[in-house]
Amino acid sequence: MNMRIAAACVLAVIIPALAYAGAAQKPVLDAYAAQAKAEQAGFAGFSVERGKAFFLAKHDASAETPSCTTCHTNDPTKPGQTRAGKDVAPMAVSKTQDRFTDAEKVEKWFTRNCQSVVGRACTAQEKGDFITFMASL
Amino acid sequence: MMPRIFAALGMIACVFGMGFLIMGPVASANPAPDPVYAKECSACHIAYPAQFLPKRSWDRIIGSLDKHFGENATLPPKSLVSIKTYLDGHAADASDPNSRIMREVAASQTPARITEMPFWTHIHGRLLARHAFDAPKVKSASNCSACHRGAATGHFGDDD
Repeated sequence: MNMRIAAACVLAVIIPALAYAGAAQKPVLDAYAAQAKAEQAGFAGFSVERGKAFFLAKHDASAETPSCTTCHTNDPTKPGQTRAGKDVAPMAVSKTQDRFTDAEKVEKWFTRNCQSVVGRACTAQEKGDFITFMASL
Repeated sequence: MMPRIFAALGMIACVFGMGFLIMGPVASANPAPDPVYAKECSACHIAYPAQFLPKRSWDRIIGSLDKHFGENATLPPKSLVSIKTYLDGHAADASDPNSRIMREVAASQTPARITEMPFWTHIHGRLLARHAFDAPKVKSASNCSACHRGAATGHFGDDD
């Protein structure tokens, strides 16, 4: 019985903490999930692992910005730097809480950076995976 | 002996004079007054003062934001309207086509970047030759703030 109470206490602490990590990002993520469902029939939710792989991948579209990591570094919990030398706040939601909360801003940067780095528009699944990865850190 | 002293004094006066002539209008470029320009154009670099390039250069930059120095920097049309109005009104040749910043810029030339402007190369030429902008803390000649601490608010004097 005591074990059950202890387990309940642990869950009571952990579950809200997990929910909080992405709570502010939920509206933006929900919108991308709805788009992803419309774009692909078999969409089964976003993935931290896919988001991480996408973030670290080297693309062939641009010599100046071959990867997200060109400016954001390999560690999204650390600040990045633009090619013109300006600091970029960490992408990890735990470090920059208001990341991915302003839908217009999120879409502006995906529009620009997907064209710059990947050479095409990103899919809703790629965007959602990316945000899910950043919210997991 | 005397002619040599005069020559030396002349040289010093010339250097200071040139410095004043060139830096005079540059040292205190006005901070960007347009809030949309200040916000959107300072995301990757400082919001460069409009007066550092002629209108024709800004027109070309704003017209090719999808290919902006190796990156896509497109903006929604509503933001572009106020940015263009600001640039048109404050470009190097906005009120005087022969302004100091425009010296040595031929009418046929459309400089693609501030670091191509004669006023800039006159001042920074020696630093360029020494590859001073390659230093990790500077990273790029586009990074005015690395040396000019007041650059983001339009102050480019050596002591800012």
